[in-house]
Order: sequence, then C-alpha cells, then structure tokens
Amino acid sequence: MSHEQSQLTIRLNGCLRTAPVDCRMLLVEALRDRFGVTGPKVGCATGDCGACTVTVDGAVTKSCLELAVAAEGTSVVTLEGLADGAELTCLQRAFWDEYAFQCGFCLSGMLFAAQDLLSRTPHPTDAEVRLAISGNLCRCTGYDTIVLAVRRAAETRPHS
Amino acid sequence: MIPSAFDYASPVSVAQAVGLLGERSLVLSGGTWAVPEMNRGEARPTVVVDLRRAGLNRITLSGGTVRIGTTCTYADLLASDVVARHLPLLRAMAAGITGGQQILNQGTLGGSVAAARPSSDALAVMVALGGRAVVASADGERRVKARDFFRGPRRTALGDRDLLVALEFPTAAGLRSGYVKLKHGQSSWPITTAAVLLGPLDGQGQAMVVLGALAGTPVVVGGIRADSPVTEVELATRQAVDSVSDLWTDVLAPADYRAAVAPVLAVRAWRKAAVPAEGRRS
Amino acid sequence: MSGTFAGRRQRKHNGGEYLTGQVRYTADLALPRMAHLALVRSPHAHARIAGVDARAAEAHATVVAVMTGAQAAEVSGPIPFLLDPAGLGGVNADVRCLAVDTVVYAGQPVAAVVAETPGDAAAAASLVQVHYEPLPAVLDCEEALADDAPIVHEGWASNVMLAGSFGPDDFATVAAEAGHVLAGELRIQRSSPTPMETRAYLADWDPVRNELTWYGTSQNPHPQRYVLATALRMDEHRIRVITPPAGGAFGLKMHGHPEETLVAVLSRELGRPVKWVESRAECLLQGGREQTHQFRVAYDDDGRVRALHDKFIADHGAMAAGAGWGMAFVGANSFPSGYDIQHCRVDYTITVTNKPPSVGMKPFGKDSAVLVLERVMDLVAAATGLDPGEVRRRNWITSAQFPYTASSGLVLDSGDYHGVLDQALDLIGYSRRRAEQETQRAAGRLVGIGIGFEMLPEGADVPASFVTAYDSATVRVDPSGHVTVLTGATSPGGGNDTAFAQIAADRLGAEPDQISVIQGDTAVCPYGTGNLSSRGLVVGGGAVALAADDVAAKVRAVAAGMLQADRAQVRLADGLALVGDDASRSVPLAVVAKSAYTLGYVFAPDIEPSLESTRTYMMPNVRHLPDELGRFSTYTTFSNAVHVCVVDVDPGTGVLQVLDQAIVHDCGTQVNPLFVEGQVRGGVVMGIGAALGESISYDADGRLASDGLKQYLLQRAIDLPPLAIGHQETPSPFSSLGAKGAGESGYSAAAAALLGAVNDALRPHGASVDALPLSPPRLLAALQQAAR
Repeated sequence: MSHEQSQLTIRLNGCLRTAPVDCRMLLVEALRDRFGVTGPKVGCATGDCGACTVTVDGAVTKSCLELAVAAEGTSVVTLEGLADGAELTCLQRAFWDEYAFQCGFCLSGMLFAAQDLLSRTPHPTDAEVRLAISGNLCRCTGYDTIVLAVRRAAETRPHS
Repeated sequence: MIPSAFDYASPVSVAQAVGLLGERSLVLSGGTWAVPEMNRGEARPTVVVDLRRAGLNRITLSGGTVRIGTTCTYADLLASDVVARHLPLLRAMAAGITGGQQILNQGTLGGSVAAARPSSDALAVMVALGGRAVVASADGERRVKARDFFRGPRRTALGDRDLLVALEFPTAAGLRSGYVKLKHGQSSWPITTAAVLLGPLDGQGQAMVVLGALAGTPVVVGGIRADSPVTEVELATRQAVDSVSDLWTDVLAPADYRAAVAPVLAVRAWRKAAVPAEGRRS
Repeated sequence: MSGTFAGRRQRKHNGGEYLTGQVRYTADLALPRMAHLALVRSPHAHARIAGVDARAAEAHATVVAVMTGAQAAEVSGPIPFLLDPAGLGGVNADVRCLAVDTVVYAGQPVAAVVAETPGDAAAAASLVQVHYEPLPAVLDCEEALADDAPIVHEGWASNVMLAGSFGPDDFATVAAEAGHVLAGELRIQRSSPTPMETRAYLADWDPVRNELTWYGTSQNPHPQRYVLATALRMDEHRIRVITPPAGGAFGLKMHGHPEETLVAVLSRELGRPVKWVESRAECLLQGGREQTHQFRVAYDDDGRVRALHDKFIADHGAMAAGAGWGMAFVGANSFPSGYDIQHCRVDYTITVTNKPPSVGMKPFGKDSAVLVLERVMDLVAAATGLDPGEVRRRNWITSAQFPYTASSGLVLDSGDYHGVLDQALDLIGYSRRRAEQETQRAAGRLVGIGIGFEMLPEGADVPASFVTAYDSATVRVDPSGHVTVLTGATSPGGGNDTAFAQIAADRLGAEPDQISVIQGDTAVCPYGTGNLSSRGLVVGGGAVALAADDVAAKVRAVAAGMLQADRAQVRLADGLALVGDDASRSVPLAVVAKSAYTLGYVFAPDIEPSLESTRTYMMPNVRHLPDELGRFSTYTTFSNAVHVCVVDVDPGTGVLQVLDQAIVHDCGTQVNPLFVEGQVRGGVVMGIGAALGESISYDADGRLASDGLKQYLLQRAIDLPPLAIGHQETPSPFSSLGAKGAGESGYSAAAAALLGAVNDALRPHGASVDALPLSPPRLLAALQQAAR
C-alpha cells in the first residue's frame, strides 16, 4: 500500500461505508474528512484530551492514535450514531439535564467514556465515574456535573 | 496527518513481520507512542509494520513462565486471571496507567517496553519481575534479560531487523509486591516509580527494589534482602541514587527532585509489599 | 426582576443538537475548492530574516502557493490593536500577519504554505528555507530591564512597553503611623488558556463581488470585521464575519492574531477558500499572566491594613495586536480588591521579551491583584495571630459603604463580602476543619486551610476601543408567531443564548425552547462586541430585554384591539395574549402576530406594523472623564466570591492533594443559576490548575518546551474533590437586570485559597512559598530549606 489514496471500508454507525483515505491519515481525520462525521474532534492529536474518542469494535478508542488504514473491516461508532434513532439515550438526556456540557467540544468523548463505564459497571460510584472520564479533558465544566449526569443516567436507565 | 510517506503493512505472522523489517521500518504495537511521533514528523519511517493481526495478543502460562504477547493491551492484562495470580505487580502497574479506558484498550505492554521511554511505568516493573524479552529475527528467536534489554533512554537491544514478539516472566505467584508511582496529577507521566518484589527469588531470600523514571534506564537497588529493615531499604536506595550518573530531568521535574523522592517511594513500595505481613517482621 | 423563565435553571438551548453531533464548529466546516494553510514558524527567538527560499516547498505535491512576509506586506497592512499601549503613553510596534525582516519570538509566523491537503501543506512548510541571522535575545523580564539588554523591538529606547501607577504615593507617611510593616513578594508563572477547541479560521473570498466571508473562532465578530477590513485595506461592509459555536475561549480568541488576517489575504490572492486549524502545540504558544510582585504592607495592632504598596513587572513577551498587555494594566487597576485601603499604590511595568506574545486570558489580570491581596491578608493574620477570616472581615468594604470609590478610581457597585464569607465558612465546616487540623498536625500531617476572596471588576468600557459596556439586540416576531432574537453579544461556550431566550420568553409569553437565538453573524446581527470582560449577559441581556419589551408593547396593543380591552390590561403568557387572568378573553400569540402584519390598520393604527425592534443597552456607570484626582472608572459590575480549600501536603514528596473545597459567589441577580454555577465550577478548576501545575516553559533558546498536554498539565476529574457551591445575590444597582458578570468567577479565589492553604500547611515547619505554580518540587524544596 503506498501513500496515495486507498479504499477504506468500515461499518460506520451501523452502515457499511467505503471511502478513499490517504494512508497517512489518522482515523479521526478519515472519519471527519472522508466519511463526513464531525462528531469526533481533534483537540490535541497526542491522545491526551479524548475529544476524538469513538468505539472501534466496541472498545473505546482515542481515534487520533489510530492510523485510518488500520481500521479496515472494523465497526466504528461516533457521536452521530449514539442516539437511539431520533430519541436521545438516557445518558444524553442526563447530560443535558445536569448541564454536563457547556461548549460541547469534549461532549462526544465524555459520552463514550461514560457509556463504556456503564456497560461494565451499571451502578458506579463517584470515584469510578471520575476514573472512567479521567482520559478526557474538559475546560468548561469542572467535571462535577458530568459525574452527576453519569450517576443520574445509571439510576434512570432501563435495566438491560 | 502524518507528513511523511510510508507503506503500511499488516502481517499475519511473525515470519511475515520479520521479513518487512529494515533500517527505516517502524513497528506498531498499540501505536500510542509511535503514531503521535509520526504525526509530529519526529519519526519518518518508510515502512510501518502493524503487529496487531500477527497473533501476538495472547497471555499463556507454561511451566512456571508467563508469556505475554507484544500486542497484549493493558486491558488484556487487567482481564487476565493468569496475570492476576502470577504477576500481581504487573497488574498493579497496569491498573495505574493513565489516559482512561481508551489507553488501557490501546496501549500495549510490549509497545511500552520496546519504546523504552524513561518516563514509563513498564520498564522498572519488567526488571523487578525478572522479565525477559523474546526477540524474533531472521536468525530465529532469542531471549534478552530485562536488565540487558534496556540500554539507555529510548534504546534497547532491538536491532533494525529484530522484532519483540513477547515478554516472559517467571511466575511470582505467592510473592509479595508493591508498586508506587509519583506523578503530578492524572495528566502527568511518571516522575519516579518504585517496584518491589519480595520473597524467595532463587530461593535466597532476595528482594528486588527497582526505581523507574529516575534515570535513563531502570535503577536496581542492590544489597537488600527480603528481611531487611526499612531503614536499610532507605539507605540502600539513597546509595543507589547517589551512584546514578544519568539522573533523568524533564520539563515536569528536575533530577534533584527525583533523587530526593526515590528513597521515600522505595520505602512506601516496600511497606505496601509488606502488608499483609505473613510471618515477616519489618 | 422576576419572570417565569428568568431565574430558572433552564437547560442549555439547542442542547439536543450538541448531543447528536449536529453542531458545526469552525474546524468542521468545509467549502468547495477549499485549500489548507500551514505556517513556517521561526525557530529563533530573535533574528533578522535575510531571505526566504520557497522553491522546494513550491515543488511539493499539491502545493498551491507560498507567501513570504514581504509579499504579504505588499497586499496588507499592520493589524490594528485591540488595545493600544500608545494610547496610555506607552510604545507600540507594528504587527503583521507574517514577519517581514525580523522575528522577535520563536514560533512567530514567517511564511505561509497553501496546499490541497493539510498534510501536504505541513510537509511543504518544512521544506521552506529561511535564512536567519540570529540576534541576541532576552528571555527574562528582569534581564530585559538591564541597561545592556538587547532591545526586542527596533526603534524602542528600552524594553518597556508601558509603565504607570495607580493610587497615592504616601506609603511611608502612613506606615509611620500604623506601627507595623511587612514585606513580601509573589511570582506568578506563565500559563495558557488551553480551550479544548484550538483556533481555526476559514476565509472565503469571492473574486466576482470582491467580498469576503470569514468564518472563525473569534470572540468578537463585529470588531473582527473592522480588524480584517483595516489589515486588508478594504471596505468593512464587504466583509461578513461568521463565528460558529466555539469550543471554549477564555480570552484566547479575542481578535488580533496574525493568522486571522493571513487566511483572508491568501484567500483573496488565490480566489478560493483557505482554512487554517491551529495545532495544540501552536495553541500553547499563546499564554500570559506572568508577573513578579513585590509589596509592603503597613498595618496596625488590630490587623487593619493602613497602606499597601505593590510594584510589579509583567513579562508580556513580544508585541502583539491582541489584548495581552491589558492584563497588567487591569491587574494594577484592580488593587486593592474588595478591601477598604485608600492608601493603596500600585506601580506596574510591562516589559517585552523575546518570548511569544501574551494573549488576554481570563480573568484578565485580576487574578494577580487577588493573589497579592489574599497573600497580604494571610501574612497579616500570621503576624498578628488573628484568624485569616477575621483579618479579612476587619479590612473589607462593608455593605453600607457601596457605591465605593477605590483608590484606583474604580467605583464598586454593591456587595456583602462578610455575608459571603459566613456562608463559605459554614459550607466547608470551618471550625470543625480547624479542630481536625490540630489532630492531623499532631499526627505529622501537613494539612492546611486557605481562604481566597476575589472581587472582580467586569463589564469594561475602554475609550477608543471596541471593548464596550453596551451591546445590541434585535427581537423579531414573524407572522407565524415565531420569536427570533439576534444579538451582537456572543458566547465562547458558556451559553448566554439560553439566558437571552429566557429573557425574551418572559416578556413575550413564549417558550424559551421555541425561540431562535442567532449570534455571531455580522450580516444579520446588530452591532456588538461579542464576548469579553464578562458582559455578554449583562449588556446583551439588557438589550434583549429592551427590544423584547418594545415588541411586547406592540403585541399587547394589537391584542387589545382584538380583545376590545385596555392595552394596560393585556398580559402575554403561555403563548397567549389575555386580559388579566381571564382565559376566555385570550388569543394565541401566533394569531396576534399575523394580525399585526395584516390587520394593523384595524386593531392598532397608531402602531408601526412591524413586530421588530433593535435596541442598545448601555451600562450607566462608566466614567471616562477624570475625577478630581485624575482617575477613571471603566468597569461597570463587580462580582465577588470566597473559596475555601483544605489541602494535604505530602512531607516526603511535596505532592499536594486537595481534600475538600467550597465556594460561595455573588454575581448579583442570576438569570440562569445553572449557567452561573457552570462558570464558577469551570473557573475554580482552571484557577486551581494554574496555581498547582499549569506552567508554560521554554528552553534556553526561547523555544516552547511545554508544547503538549503531557507537559502542560490540566486537571482531570479524578484530581479534585467535588466543589460545594453556595450563592448570594447582591444585585447591581446599575444594570437593568441586576446581574453582574460571572464569566471569570472562581479562578482567582480558588488560586488564592490554594496558595493560602499551602502556606498554612507549611507554616508549622517554618516553610513558606511565594511563587506559583505550587509544584511538588517547589513545595519539597521549601520544606527542605526550612529544615536546614
């Protein structure tokens, strides 16, 4: 494979998609520029801020640390694919109600980190929530309302 | 976007991977070190060899040796019963890796070891556990002891055509251990670490106290036995620190700070290992 | 002021769009034929540019153009200053979008490369050969003031940009009477605003119409248009500035950056859109707050401060067209915080050095006044044996003294600082904490408790600048009854649009969720200043209220005609116009609206049949003419807060842990308490972060060493305990809403409380710290030094 364009096929938010990508692209860049989803953000490109967080084959992943071509054949979910169709999820509603986002730039990453935690720990303590989102930076909220939102979502979500 | 051009390869076997290595190749395990370096133009390989489909992600136990494939992630380590039972020190280190669940999913032990950054958790723990690097090349497979593997900051025993395929550790089941890491908050890489392993290594009542992020390579504190009093541990650590010629300095902390805190951390890691004290006096 | 919606914890307007990824930030935008810009930046802190060889770069794949500073200077002029130091008797230097013959800091843009992809532009940028002749550089402000220091800006007699003072020069006289004098110093390090969204600009030049549409992360859309017009030497009305929703700003995105102009210059030259997205490393070039203070305090036996004299030097870095230098001026102007010290003198010197320029950052210099005053109070407490809270009580301006003219000339509006302290001490459980501290100390732990009080002047109006204490709004109801609010005020992410919807909803009887709020488009929004100085809600909201009242009056007039009632009896509520409380005599707002436009002559022939009003709200308490002592009062609202924190310092490592924290704030009337709390929470974490470990550092050659988020350390969720918040509302007697600005709240009080807590923790060991950040190496060194 050369540095020219190659075709990348992924299952993106449930749909099989193919797009030409530059081999030198990071996954977050390919998602934004070639697949047209701007939910994942570039905040640092060094894996520190977490704004680029998506899931790849179900695992939360900082997509600025992945080469686009390495994602061939995987299933990727971005912010655009988080909601239940037109309905917001319990977690999304909790973020809104508790004012867990202000400027919204870290929101996508925080939702993925929170969702991942809840899938493994349905009733987390404050400390567990704080640890789970410690790979994601926020400069606006001071984190406390994010913790409240995740706790609230844990209490109100339907048992699966 | 990465500024330089490269060919990307995703080999499905060790042999295939080794065949791709050369002077300007770069091996990707998790990519958490390598990808940002390429993105900043600091690493400019012509070939990128992605190991994640080469079958190196298994953890096995055989005859008292735990073998951890290079692309095993920190999440794999934390989920492994073998690691929990046989290498609790490794597990303790993995549990403190920063960067969120994402980095636990993406970062690999093998990748950290091969990168050999001084400000890393993995190196000192590998030395403390008596680990060995399993290296594959066109000439076959060889093993390199941890102490010989780390040659300097970001320098290892790996040549351009060598591939780290696994790490092997003798079982430490039943041995007590303690791990302490000093960092400036959750955003910070390790400033100084202390890894302690107690018990009958080689049946001699030895103890391993290894300091990480203190110097270019892990520093082993000599002259300590499993029944040494804490004061001796502190003294021996000070002496070890004093004899280090390449104390590490970076933007987060100067060398003299690391030298000052290393003995404190060694004692704390020692105390962690000593609890619960099973018939051992301190 | 009260209403159904104002005062409520209304959730974020259009929050659903954020949650589903529909919001487009600037970097998300793409236009047909868009090209990408990468910058060549100087590796030298000070050098002449002998030549630029672009041939290799031009030959790189997909490169469209390379532009040098000399070429840019042929088609553009210097960037106008947001605040000009020459206006206060200081010196300035031209700032252009690309350096022409000299570079004055490492990182300064020298050449521009435009290519079809960002990757190609960046790769080609590294191929541009610039021939530099290095010059001696100065990287320290005290060295910059030495007689033999290299001069940073050609033509300047020294490296002083501006020096001045506030207050009477009578310390010695007063000190003689007071009885006690103490001295101290405080060093504050350079830090960086670091919003999660870096800067981004996209310029779209239309070569047919000779018009520019400029999208960007700018806090000030209308002034930005003026800046672009001036630098591009074109008519302002041919420029449309659109500022998409921003991912935080904290001052970083106030206008004056070279890249703002550069994208426009390039787009015009190339006839196609040009986009630039700042990298995190480039973003960390932007910093500020670096100051060194020396102070002396005269106090009496009762702990009453009689006189204060503070001298400080601010290291601005190289000259810029932004607001950075203003922080030192405002910091000096903010002394003595909320304390009743009429004999307060501040001498400030703003120096330039060969470091990247300062950028205006919240809380815009007021943090330094707070840090010094709180340190002073703690030192007086230690010297007199009084409790730190008690010393503050004895020195504060009391409620009865407002409006209070400070020694600086600022007229503080209202407050009840004692009340805020009472609440804060209660919230943290102060007496219990002090009792626990005794036990903890006996066990060898270094536990400290700190009190930090901030008084923040906000809502500035600076003469001859676009920093204004007024703003405008249009409120419009269309024939379908839909309400639209357009404002000149914008938000960096804190969301004053929600508050504007609440205000309009109350007056028009509409639902906030149904109201459209449009901000950040100079083509449709009335003239305004955008966001800065925490005035968006106060004056933006004031304008919305005026305009909405106008439209409501018209709606009531038409409805009265339809309902055959007195206009004075008609109310607007719940989407209806109704007579008193009689629901049977009501008509839906939508029907009234349609009637206004189509049956106006029938129902209200005396009313202009257009349900629209554009109004400007001005704060009344600005004083630009000097008083009898030659002083001005440029600030219009004054909020305050007290933060209390409990910390534990590890004696073996100097590592600090915040055990508990509480804050009580007072920003007057709160239109949306949820949002005010959000500002305070964010400010507190930012202030703690800056005091604890955020530190911008350079290597010996002046190049940025802290160029990523592993070196510039931000606080994470697991680093701090939850923050207890209380509030008090002492309304502004001057603003129509009774509100005061809260955009900078929390930062200064938290940073000061942390410094106080650390010194409280260290005091039993005879150690103290008077420099930030409170890093573990610094704390350990203080303990080790005291032990010797």
